[in-house]
Amino acid sequence: MKRSLALALAVGAVAFGPLGVLLSRGLGVDWLATWTSPPTLLALRGTVVTSLGAAMLALTVGLPLAVLIGRTDLPLRRTLQAAFTLPSALPPFILGMGWVGLANPKAGLLNLLFGVGTFDIYGAGGIAFVLGCAAIPLVFLPALASLARVDGALEEAARMSGATPLRALLGVSVPLALPAALSGAALAFLFAASAFGVPYLLGVTATPPTPTLTTRIYSEVLVGSEGLARASVLSVELLALAALLLVGSRALARGVLLSQGKGGARRPVPLGAARWPLALASLSVMFVLVVLPLLAVALTSVQPVWGQFSGLTVKHWSSVLSNARTLDAATRSLVLSLGAASLVTVLGLGLASRRRGWLDTLAGAPYAVPGTVLALALLTSFARDVRFIAFDRVAFVLALGNTAWLLLLAYVVKHLAFGVRNASDGFAQVDPSLTEAARLSGASPARAFLDATLPQLRAPLGAAFVVTFLTCMTELTLSVLLIPTGRDVLGTLLFDLQSYADPGSAAVIACAFIVLVLLAQFVRRPKEA
Amino acid sequence: MATVELEQVFKQYGSTPVVKGLSLKVEAGEFLSLLGPSGCGKTTTLRMVAGLERIDRGVLRIDGRVVDGPQVNMPPERRGLGMVFQSYAVWPHRTVAQNVAYPLTLQGLGAQEIAARVQEALGWVRLQPFADRPPSQLSGGQLQRVAIARALVARPKVLLLDEPLSNLDAALREELRGEIASLRATLGTTMIFVTHDQHEALALSDRVAVMNHGVIEQIASPEQLYREPATPFVASFVGGANVLTGTVDGSTFTTHGERFELPGEGPATTIAVRPEHVRLGEGTPLRLLARLFLGSAVEYRFALGDVVLRAVGPAVEAARVGDHVRVGFSQVRRYASPAES
Repeated sequence: MKRSLALALAVGAVAFGPLGVLLSRGLGVDWLATWTSPPTLLALRGTVVTSLGAAMLALTVGLPLAVLIGRTDLPLRRTLQAAFTLPSALPPFILGMGWVGLANPKAGLLNLLFGVGTFDIYGAGGIAFVLGCAAIPLVFLPALASLARVDGALEEAARMSGATPLRALLGVSVPLALPAALSGAALAFLFAASAFGVPYLLGVTATPPTPTLTTRIYSEVLVGSEGLARASVLSVELLALAALLLVGSRALARGVLLSQGKGGARRPVPLGAARWPLALASLSVMFVLVVLPLLAVALTSVQPVWGQFSGLTVKHWSSVLSNARTLDAATRSLVLSLGAASLVTVLGLGLASRRRGWLDTLAGAPYAVPGTVLALALLTSFARDVRFIAFDRVAFVLALGNTAWLLLLAYVVKHLAFGVRNASDGFAQVDPSLTEAARLSGASPARAFLDATLPQLRAPLGAAFVVTFLTCMTELTLSVLLIPTGRDVLGTLLFDLQSYADPGSAAVIACAFIVLVLLAQFVRRPKEA
Repeated sequence: MATVELEQVFKQYGSTPVVKGLSLKVEAGEFLSLLGPSGCGKTTTLRMVAGLERIDRGVLRIDGRVVDGPQVNMPPERRGLGMVFQSYAVWPHRTVAQNVAYPLTLQGLGAQEIAARVQEALGWVRLQPFADRPPSQLSGGQLQRVAIARALVARPKVLLLDEPLSNLDAALREELRGEIASLRATLGTTMIFVTHDQHEALALSDRVAVMNHGVIEQIASPEQLYREPATPFVASFVGGANVLTGTVDGSTFTTHGERFELPGEGPATTIAVRPEHVRLGEGTPLRLLARLFLGSAVEYRFALGDVVLRAVGPAVEAARVGDHVRVGFSQVRRYASPAES
């Protein structure tokens, strides 16, 4: 019991300590005045409008798609599912870059085709659109999983009561999947409200500028000490919004019904004559929302002059690849991501092995904290060296401020949820008698864990490692705020190049991210089957 | 071969008592079954013997040595037992031979000796041809035989079997039941077998302990248990008897508003009548609810007040469902205490 308590305190301190420091930073500030000042209200409005738009887009595309793919005989279901899952593995910033290349009012490729000024991706609408596309998996995947769990007998009972296949689908299965979809939409809202890269890319330079809470926090941090206090007050507002959404999403998810009976194999609903038209429509949506922006990024990386069709070039590729700065950033990203993935996997395993639900929740909590807020909290906590004095004698000095170690800490704290959740699900699926059989065979508890339990956890732990590694390799928000000046990781390099007018070189790095993520998908595919 | 002794053992989960003052001695080389409905505490008792659960109060001795009790708790790996689990618990990441070899590997034996003893153990369960297969290629019955070989390979003092047959289909269950019986005859290992199936318990055991609500209601040989059930619960759980509560006046028994003539005399508040001792054609008229053809016999169900009286007899009655049929008892057991489920 004592060990549990100590562990809880340690995890709690890591998860919430920095947030506490951040709160204390804002103590001297007039909170009400800051919250009701016109710039804050404008930023809040920006966050709510763009996030609401993104959540609605994710819901209107994600739910019908889940029904079509999960419950009908639509052709090319696997391709569609893979394509619409992809955005969750990529930083939304890359989709944003793609859309800048496509729909920059003056130089976007679409505007070159259809006439200058036809499309404008800058502003609230554009932010909502890009974040909505990136958030589709948040609605699509839970809805799909929920549909797969609906007992086939429920639909069959509707059929036996006289309903047509379509009627049974719409009247029974879709309502049962709705709570999961709505819960996903709330997460999409949270995802959009926490986003930093896209609102920065599409909001700050828009006319008129569309600030959001995250971009305001960033610009306040740049101001310095005075701004830091205001930023902490804004963070509290964003944090409260996040907590509200998370509670809402949980409450909605509680409405998800698990199947009770065994149910037979479920037949997909035949679409009949509508089969191919619907497939064509789905493919078009997929092309516009997922493929087109990625193609635009690829095209940008080989265009001699941005915004002009004037042949192809490899100059961006050769300059980026031969640049010492790129190599330096890639090495640092690789080391940090491998380190973070290893730590997340090992710590996740250790925490989940305690088999305490609340400990898992506690360790997973920082994942829901918006990246900007988490980064800011760590920044303020470690701005000065932290000293621990043990036994009045030994002093530990933790001087993380302005080092890459702080970024490693941020990666681990943020993504510990991956490790804990995967390990925890793994433990839940391992038959305890496998371990007990090893004990009866003569193995000590430690030996039984190594020989009998751990081998069953290879797949979930491997998944935790890969997901954490990929997420950290392509991470942007934490990196931008926490990386010391003069050093780079790939995410900050991408951000700098895009922000300071070298979209061609930025596109090269974005292409590398896309290739990395696609490779990982192919590597992982056989394991799932 | 070793003895297992439980003395006044108590166990509770939270505030729910599961085992209440259980005392039991399993003799060396004996096959003892713990029989009872789910939740009666039989699996918990077995897991306490294994060392997978601590006992709250009382003493547990294996081979005369205290392994769990006040100030003593020997971990499972040092008790020298073997166990077969309901879910097989065959490690999916090891081949059949590697599974069976594991207990010997932990003892630090040489590779040659391990290989020889694994072959021998696989021979006991006729699985030699499958030695190098991964468990994913085996059927349920084969998996359970791997588990049995693994549990026996190190020659344990006692083999514990936790409902090992209940995940198998009927034919396999009978086959494996026979194999357990012949293994036991060859090896002579002390075995404790947990089951909720009275046929398994009666067929395999030297003695059966019938458990209910955390206590042993009766411990006896299968024959004695069947012929002389000590409590109404044992009569109904083991023999499928009708248990009726009522009042006796001379040889007349009144229950659920009907009167029956009982064979013999004696005081009773509860009687147990096995279905084959319900005689049709003479006695008290009861309404026939259902007629179930069982092959060698027919089961009849009668309405007796608000309960059902079951009878089994030859298929000669022309009685139809809904008719009233005269019913009497040819043999009953009397109990002074009221029935308790």
